[in-house]
Amino acid sequence: MTSTRVIKVDYLARVEGEGALFVQYDDAGVHDVKLKIFEPPRFFEAFLRGRDYREAPDITARICGICPVAYQMSAIHAMENALGIEPTPELAALRRLLYCGEWIESHALHIFMLHAPDFLGYESAVAMARDHPGIVERGLELKKAGNAIVSLLGGREVHPINVRVGGFYRVPEARELQPLRQQLQRGRDAAIDTVRWVSTLPCPKFQRQQQHDYEFVALQHPDEYPMNRGRIVSTAGLDIAVWDYDVTFEEQHVQHTNALHSVIRQRGAYFVGPMARYNLNFDRLTALTRDMAADIGFPPFCRNPFQSIIVRSLEVLHAFDEALQLLDHYRKPDQPWTEETPAASTGYAATEAPRGLLYHRYSLDETGTITDAKIVPPTSQNQKTIEDDLRLMIPRYLSMAEEQLRSRCEQAIRNYDPCISCATHFLQLHLEKRS
Amino acid sequence: MKPLIISLGHRYRSDDGVGPLTLDLLRQRLRDRVDCLENPGDVTRLLAAWQGVERVYLIDALDGSAGERGDILELDGLRQVLPAGAASTSSHGLNLAEAIELSKMLGSPPQRLTIYGIVAANFSPGQTLDPAVEAAAHAVAERIMVAIDGGTGTAIETAASNQPGKETACTNTH
Repeated sequence: MTSTRVIKVDYLARVEGEGALFVQYDDAGVHDVKLKIFEPPRFFEAFLRGRDYREAPDITARICGICPVAYQMSAIHAMENALGIEPTPELAALRRLLYCGEWIESHALHIFMLHAPDFLGYESAVAMARDHPGIVERGLELKKAGNAIVSLLGGREVHPINVRVGGFYRVPEARELQPLRQQLQRGRDAAIDTVRWVSTLPCPKFQRQQQHDYEFVALQHPDEYPMNRGRIVSTAGLDIAVWDYDVTFEEQHVQHTNALHSVIRQRGAYFVGPMARYNLNFDRLTALTRDMAADIGFPPFCRNPFQSIIVRSLEVLHAFDEALQLLDHYRKPDQPWTEETPAASTGYAATEAPRGLLYHRYSLDETGTITDAKIVPPTSQNQKTIEDDLRLMIPRYLSMAEEQLRSRCEQAIRNYDPCISCATHFLQLHLEKRS
Repeated sequence: MKPLIISLGHRYRSDDGVGPLTLDLLRQRLRDRVDCLENPGDVTRLLAAWQGVERVYLIDALDGSAGERGDILELDGLRQVLPAGAASTSSHGLNLAEAIELSKMLGSPPQRLTIYGIVAANFSPGQTLDPAVEAAAHAVAERIMVAIDGGTGTAIETAASNQPGKETACTNTH
């Protein structure tokens, strides 16, 4: 005899954006997992057609209030690829500094406000703050330091207005950057404390069996931890130029979601984000960050997605450390931007948003008007992996009470820090158990 | 100290852009007499933004459960409970109610926080606001103008009663 039990969460809290999840399972296993995203960002792709190429960075920044720099950077690099512009080393360094700011603020938000409460058994950051105000204050302090970088270089904290194709509208004098130093030094110390703290959080043990192992995908560059440039590589041997993205990856329509599922052709799901970057680029982290990983006994390769909170904390430390190095070596660019001439062309770029690989492709006509645009955000790329995680994970937790199981599923989704607002509205979680 | 005016909401999500529209109206008219902050998502930024500020006005869209489209709710953000339509529509990790509570807990709220909630209905992609919602933006801008010029921070009924931005009694106070 079977009976059906339903666990339903109407609104999954502490994710960026809105969507829905449906899980149907019984003691024999998981029968159905559907991550439903109602509204992919095709609105923006259509919206871009007919607009001037110089507008793309500011328009795409509006896709997300959490990671606008990532959208701007991918748009700018794609346009520069189309028009044959190579940013000077000084401009590239400033862009990395800006990206460090976004990684810090986005990761700090996720670690302290969205994910940590899961590990400590609180329903929200507010509840956690009652018992751990110092921890929450540290998170806000870190975030504030990230905001300060974005604000100084971008002109404002949200949706920066100072970046443009070819460079920046205005570049700072060295003395303008110096007030950041003290804040970043304090932030780096707090980031070290954060790494130590998250390494003590009780972490669920989960590792896929070999036949279901993840394929991690990230940018890789010989000289730097990936942010703005590099080839797209994977743990299964993928190694391609960014302009081969469309040849290698495929977006598939899935009936239960309006967002397209990204897969590697002939292979399937893959995993982008901090864990992918870390696993593929550990040796490119700053020495301080690698030392901290060793200090807490964290390996250079991580397969447990629940430990993504540790990887994020290490990336926060890396971002502070690198930002300070960039300040130390800052040379004001001779020109704020490189002049460009519109031409009929197509450009490609991928950068590493806080949540993972963010691909942009644009086609322009001879006047610089955008005729076609394609944007693939990281959450779209992780959708299938999130579903697979739940499918593989739930059978291990069937002894849990339903409420506990539901919380564990929510925590598993938050491992990916899904920025569903880049693609959709809220996330509703619907667990259905047949037993 | 200048008053701080904050908008929540997304310009490209139809009625959700009512906060940014109101901010634009006030920015045009008050210029450097106020500080303005457009916040499209991450409300944790508010904690740092309003810390130590004497007077904050915040405008946000409310979902349809809070009333009829274009209705205006005015709340004392530090003393009154936000309506469900304000507390639950955030898609950005923390919602406004949580940000206020967290701010109080950490001892960093502004001295005074007035929230104007405008009931909206359409949050789909687009740049067009419903006429009633747009009219409410003008009414709220007028109300904040009067509050700042009058220096009392109190809503003026003549501005509030301008149709079609309708006044709605706030019933869920405590």
